[in-house]
Amino acid sequence: MNGRALHFYLAGINNQNFLMRDKETGTWWQQITGKAVYGPLKGTALDLVPYDELTFGEWKSEVSNGRVLAPVPKYVKEYDSNWEPEVAKLPVVISFPGTELKSRDVVLGLQLGDASRAYPWESLAKQSPVIDHVNGRPLLIAVGPDGKSFRAFVSQIDGKDAEFFLKGDEGTSSVTASSDPKVAPASANADPKKPGQPEAKPSPSAKPWTLLDTTTASEWNFQGCAISGASQGKCLERVPALKDYWFDWRNYHPDTTIYKR
Amino acid sequence: MTTAKPRFGTLWVVLLAFALVGFGSFFFPAFIIRPFTHQSPRGLYWAMAVRQRAPIISLMCAIACLLLVMLLWQISDKWRKGALSAVMLLVTTAAVMSRLNYFEWMFHPVDAAQFEAESSSKLDAKEMILAVRYGDDARAYPISQMAYHHILNDVVGGVPIAVTY
Repeated sequence: MNGRALHFYLAGINNQNFLMRDKETGTWWQQITGKAVYGPLKGTALDLVPYDELTFGEWKSEVSNGRVLAPVPKYVKEYDSNWEPEVAKLPVVISFPGTELKSRDVVLGLQLGDASRAYPWESLAKQSPVIDHVNGRPLLIAVGPDGKSFRAFVSQIDGKDAEFFLKGDEGTSSVTASSDPKVAPASANADPKKPGQPEAKPSPSAKPWTLLDTTTASEWNFQGCAISGASQGKCLERVPALKDYWFDWRNYHPDTTIYKR
Repeated sequence: MTTAKPRFGTLWVVLLAFALVGFGSFFFPAFIIRPFTHQSPRGLYWAMAVRQRAPIISLMCAIACLLLVMLLWQISDKWRKGALSAVMLLVTTAAVMSRLNYFEWMFHPVDAAQFEAESSSKLDAKEMILAVRYGDDARAYPISQMAYHHILNDVVGGVPIAVTY
């Protein structure tokens, strides 16, 4: 903050989004917004650092000489890779009845200027890549080859709106169900009433995950960069996306819309 | 001695007032900012305002109580001495608790973050991570670890960051 490094510690909870304080000034900060809510620095906000939420496998394939936070031996037994089903059972203390989503539905939240939109994770996983517009900005939201990693981009090549679809999905629109084998289990979960529903699976052999754009017919990787075709070497502009529970996203984005398709 | 009695009665009232304020400065914010309950904006504001000042309030109250207890001790019978001890215990506890962070008893912080090369990490390829990259400095923060620690202070490519989950 203002050229001064702050160090944060866990200080409390505000409707299940945590509060942290910095050791230097004692100011209270809200986790989701990075805003100072009480104390000497109230009114300021931390800058959001560009970040990704990826599987370890996807990350390893993208970086070289990356470093991984090592588990603290003392606390290894506290780590829980399967925390999501546990947390999903916890009660919520704020809810928004009358909205179409349930409190603990997982959404991908995007904010562009004053406008924000929540993308239900189940829809995204089925439909990826999704092309959408928020606040006049064309967007591309993609769930990665592993069915878990995600990224959002401005869907423009050289300032011109572009459409993308998953290579291998030719003939279907970019917003219909993905045929990626790894995505199929997620879409099956989306409809628990039909567990025996046959999954449209192509051959299980790992095909490279590639997007094609309809404007320059180039191939794009999950990092949003063109790897072949007329656009080769170009990368799409990234848009921050937050994976969150619906109640938390809605609480901090009261005017959010919900993606429907 | 007949005039002394009301004076000591007043001292008891002052003592209990200090004890109440001292203990309240710990208890009120702890009660408002507790998990699995709704926090109203006003309640939260006052909880933070009190918590911010609790270390000094609770200490001053504990000192005031100690002085009053010393004054009252000699003229008190064993029941009153018991009550005085209980009051001292309460305000001392509040003064100590206001200086501790019990949230970090539930979710221990990482004091000194250690990193390992991606090649030597035992993390499963399907595990989710938060990834940050500045220039050549690429780091992964496994969500299974972050969901426990919640906050990690780090410096990536010279940029100080706080990783949260």
